Order: sequence, then structure tokens, then C-alpha cells
Amino acid sequence: MSFIELKSVVKRYGSNTVLQDVDLNVEKGEIIAIIGRSGSGKSTLLRCINGLEPVQGGEVWVDGVAVHDPSANLRELRARVGIVFQSFNLFPHLTVQRNITLGPMIVKGLPAAEAATLALAALRKVGLEEKIGAYADELSGGQQQRVAIARSLAMSPSLMLFDEITSALDPELVGEVLLVLEEMAREGMTMLLVTHEMSFARRVAHRVVFMHQGKVWEQAPAKEFFAEPKTVELKSFLSSVIH
Amino acid sequence: MIRELALVDVYFLLLALRWTIGLTLLALLGGGAVGLFVAAFGAARNPVLRGVAMVYVGTVQGIPLLGWLFIFYFGLSIIGYNLPPLVAATVGFSIYAGAFLGEIWRGALVAIPKTQWEAGLSIGLNYIEQLRHVIIPQAVRMAIAPTVGFVVQLIKNTSLAAVIGFVELTREGQLTTASTFQPFSVYLLVALMYFSLCYPLTQYSRVLERKRRVLH
Amino acid sequence: MSYRFQFRDVFAQKEAIADGVLVTLQLSAVTIGLGFLIGILVAVSLVYGERWLRSLARVYVEVIRNTPLIVQLFLIFFGLPGIGIRLDVMTASLLALTINLGAYTAEIVRAGIESVPKSQIEAGVSLGMTQPQIFRHVVLIPALKNVYPALSSQFVLLMLATSVVSQISAADLFHAGSIIQSRTFRDFEVYTVISVLYLCLTLLMRGGFGLLYHLVFRRK
Repeated sequence: MSFIELKSVVKRYGSNTVLQDVDLNVEKGEIIAIIGRSGSGKSTLLRCINGLEPVQGGEVWVDGVAVHDPSANLRELRARVGIVFQSFNLFPHLTVQRNITLGPMIVKGLPAAEAATLALAALRKVGLEEKIGAYADELSGGQQQRVAIARSLAMSPSLMLFDEITSALDPELVGEVLLVLEEMAREGMTMLLVTHEMSFARRVAHRVVFMHQGKVWEQAPAKEFFAEPKTVELKSFLSSVIH
Repeated sequence: MIRELALVDVYFLLLALRWTIGLTLLALLGGGAVGLFVAAFGAARNPVLRGVAMVYVGTVQGIPLLGWLFIFYFGLSIIGYNLPPLVAATVGFSIYAGAFLGEIWRGALVAIPKTQWEAGLSIGLNYIEQLRHVIIPQAVRMAIAPTVGFVVQLIKNTSLAAVIGFVELTREGQLTTASTFQPFSVYLLVALMYFSLCYPLTQYSRVLERKRRVLH
Repeated sequence: MSYRFQFRDVFAQKEAIADGVLVTLQLSAVTIGLGFLIGILVAVSLVYGERWLRSLARVYVEVIRNTPLIVQLFLIFFGLPGIGIRLDVMTASLLALTINLGAYTAEIVRAGIESVPKSQIEAGVSLGMTQPQIFRHVVLIPALKNVYPALSSQFVLLMLATSVVSQISAADLFHAGSIIQSRTFRDFEVYTVISVLYLCLTLLMRGGFGLLYHLVFRRK
């Protein structure tokens, strides 16, 4: 079985079908970029993988866990799957350190000293050790996003999900975040990124998936995907975003 | 003479309920009039006017309603007027309600964006005309939910008029208890009657609040 | 007007006034402490509880908030003996005030809990935290911070509302008024002085809550 397996996944919001019959396989160590127009279902797809969104049909398997099963206890899985959001979602009333040590201490039961060491290591990875005592509103958007990544990393995840994490950033702050991602990719992390950063996708991703009208419309290895788009819809999408 | 709690007692309680409603309406009229001034002063550009409003609201809201009732009840008799408790109650409630309504309405006025004032000014309206034609209609829509919420407070507050002898629902409850020695049943009935007045209004203010949030 | 105001007589009753202030402060402090806890418990029931718990909490809140405090007080002090529960003046006062404050606090705290953005909860869920853990570490403090002004206003209102216990002869500040009144016959002056004292207590409380905010919520 693949690390992540989506079989005929259907997701509806009321009468609106956002995901129609989605099939996707991801192997360990793969880096997948998911692109598409807004409303194509790409964020929803990501959120179905860690169970933030329940699915109405089909199966979602992550590392052998049946995420689609309503009775499944996903806490243990979620401790192994990191997700970074477009709006960072740092806890405003806690310091950077406390933001990062909260998960390890409360979910994994680690003692404070060990959690603090983990936090420092995670912050070092994203280049922000000196901000360990700061609060979220004292940081720039790019710094907040890097702290959000560190928060997920401190849980030692086997899978990282990124939901348009640079879309809310000022352009000059995007680079510092992408650098962190490239480092993670080099270290062999399994990553799924919903993104608009096409050049990043082409450079770093192994495979790119194009979502359209709630389906996996086309997917291919990165270079081939951008160089030789097969479907009309992908061609039209690429020409509208790459100029 | 102790007698059984009978249907006639319920009847008298219902009659007293009329006075609860009556006092509430009087307080709304009096308090509304005062509140208009408090709101207008509080939203004015003149810092002196704003200060006057602030002092009034701060003072009224810093003293228990019972205090205001007693001050006017005893104060009015000093000036030589031996008026029925209804008058002391009406004055006391109007002063009290005026501060709270004034604050609610000031909040609504202040929430109107400056650009609306500028639009009125640019077509030649003075302060009063701006208020009347541009600002107040919008402020009313904003203020109606919390105002209805305050009316509920007012209905509950009228129960304190019993303390200065005004025979509204709570006082009637005390009198009925004295003659039937059934305080539990009587006050339960009284509570039920207040609830049947207040709860529908509370629900209505919630509906209004939801509408207001949709608009803004 | 041939009346001459005689405030001196009232001021001479310093002890009665001081005793009254003390009782009012004590009553307020205990009620606020207990009422705040009850309010949080009820708010949690309203937001996170099972259907039956939510309904129970909702009934409690609606009944208390739609009936007058004085009627609740009379029901507890005068009414309960009718079904065999006899409470002394202080206990009845405390009970009525606490039950009353608990309902108002519950609504305010509930609004605070619901004001915490869903994205914050999602972040907690995504880390693998349980609902109780999320409530304690992610929701509670931001919720209380958001409704702090409403909460502290409610507590000041409570202090003023304690005056109602004078009607069952509890020895609070307002009741001191009737004592002094019977000694000096200066009705108007008595209640004016007492009202000014309440105003001072209000200002003190507001200042205290402002200070508390800076101590608890402002970063060191």
C-alpha cells in the first residue's frame, strides 16, 4: 500500500460537490505539488488527508490509518502529520517557544526540558532561534509562517501538508519560507504542497497534480508537467499563471 | 387572616402586571428623552458636551438603581411634593434608563463612519440636519437590537419600585404572600409572569441582533 | 424651601457605614469568585456539552436572565421555607446573587469562547490535541481576554446589585441606610451619602479591573 492512498474520494458541502471521485497515491519521501484554480478543491483535498474535513464517499488511507472512518481516532495520526496553514494560526497568547512545545508536551507527554530542546532545534532549522521568547504579533508574516513550520516539525512528523502557505505573505517574505521547504525536501520529508509558486513546484516537487472541477485532472513528473501539458484545461491554466 | 391561594390572586397579580408594563413604558419615554440628549452630547465634537455626557453616564451607572429611587423618593418630599411613589419611580427610572439608553445610542451614532457625516456636510447640512436626515436613520437600525435588550432589563428593574411602595407585580406578590402565606407559589407565579414578558423580548432582540450582524 | 440639609448627622454614623461597606465588599467578592466559576462551567456546558446538558444549561440561563433578581431573592429567602428549606439572611443572599451572576457570566463567557477563530481550533486539532486540551490551552485565555470588558462591567453591576439584599435585611451598605435613617431621620441625606459611597466603590472596582488586565494579559 502507498503511504497515502485516496480512492474515489467524494466531498460535499451541502449540495455543492467539491471533490468528485478523487484518486491519488503518494509514496514515502515523495514531494507532490497540487495546483489549480480557486474552487478546484485542492485545499479541501489536503484537509481531507488529516481528517480536518470528513469525506462523504471513498477512502482516505494515510500510513495505514483509515481517515475516512468516522469512528477512527485520528489523534495519534495527527501527531505524525504536520499541517501548515495559509494564515499561520499561531497561538497569539503564547510565546514562540510555548507555541512549539505545546504539542510535544501535551500530546506526546514529553517533559518540559526535552520539549524545550526540540523547540530550539526546530527553530534553528527555520532560522529563528533568537525569536524564541517573542509573541506572534511581534513577528513578520514570513517569520510567523516559519514558526508555524517549526511548530509542526517539533512533532517529528512523517508527513507535512502545506496549504498555500505563501499566499498570504508579502512577496519579499516568500523566499525565506521557500528556503526552509527546500531544506526539508532535501532531507527526504514526504510533502504535499498546495501552492501557486510554479517555479518552486517545478524545481523541488517530484510530481505535480492539477486539480480541476474537483477531480485530479492531470498529473505528471514536475518537468514533464510544465513542459508538456496534455489537457486543454491545464494548458489554459498554465498560460494564465505563467507570464 | 390567612386564606388559600386562589384564582382571584392570580387575577390581581395580572392586574399588577399592567403597572409593571406601564412603568416600563413611562421609563422608556422619560429615559428615551434623556437618552437622546446624552447620545447627542456624547457623540458631539465639542469636548465639553462629551464631558457632560460622560459624567452623567458615569455617575448614574455608578449608583445602584435602589439608590436613585430612594434619592428621588425622599428628595421630592423634601421639596414639598408629597407625590405618589409612581412619580418618584418614573423620575428615578428615567434618569437611570436615560444613561443606559444614551450610551447604547451614542455607541450606534459613533459607529456610523465619518464618511457619512462628510457626505451630509458636503451637501450643505448643519449638525442637526445631518443627524436628522443621514445619521439617525442609520443609527436607529444599529441600535434597535441592544435597545430591545435594554427594555428587558427595564422590565426586570421595575421590580425594585416595589421597595418604595409602588404596587407593580413584585409588590403585589409581597401583598399576596402576606395574606395567603404561600410565598413559594406566589413568587413562582410572579417569576413566571416576568418570564412570559421578558423571554419573548429577549428572543426578539436575538433575532434583531442576527439581522444587524448580517447588515454589517 | 425651608429645609436645611444636615449631612453632619449622617457622617456621625461612621461605624454603621463602615460595617455596611465591609459586608457589601465581602458579599461582592465571594459572589464574583463563585459566580465566575459557575459561569465558566455553564458556558462550557453550553458550547461543548451533550444535548441534554446544553438544554439544562440553556434553561438555567434563560430563567435567571428573564426574571428579576429581587424575585429570585424572595423566592429563595421567603419561598424555600415553604418547602422545608430555611436559610439565614446571608446564605440566602449569597445563594441568590451567585445563581444570578452565574447565568449572566455564562452568556458572556460563551460569547468569548465562540469568538475564538475556528482556525485556532484547527491548529490545535491538527497537532493531535483533545477537545479538553484545546479548550484549556488554546481557547480559554483568548476567550476571557476578548470579553474582559463585558465581564468586568458585569462584576461592577453585580456589586451595585448587592444593594437588593437590604430588602431581606442583610446588613449591607444599603441596609445601613435604613439603620441610620431610623436614628437620624435624615432620609435624603442618608441615601445621598450611601449612593456616593457606591459610586466610590464603582470607581475603585473599575480601576482595580483595569489594573488586573495589565497584570494578567499584558506581556512582561
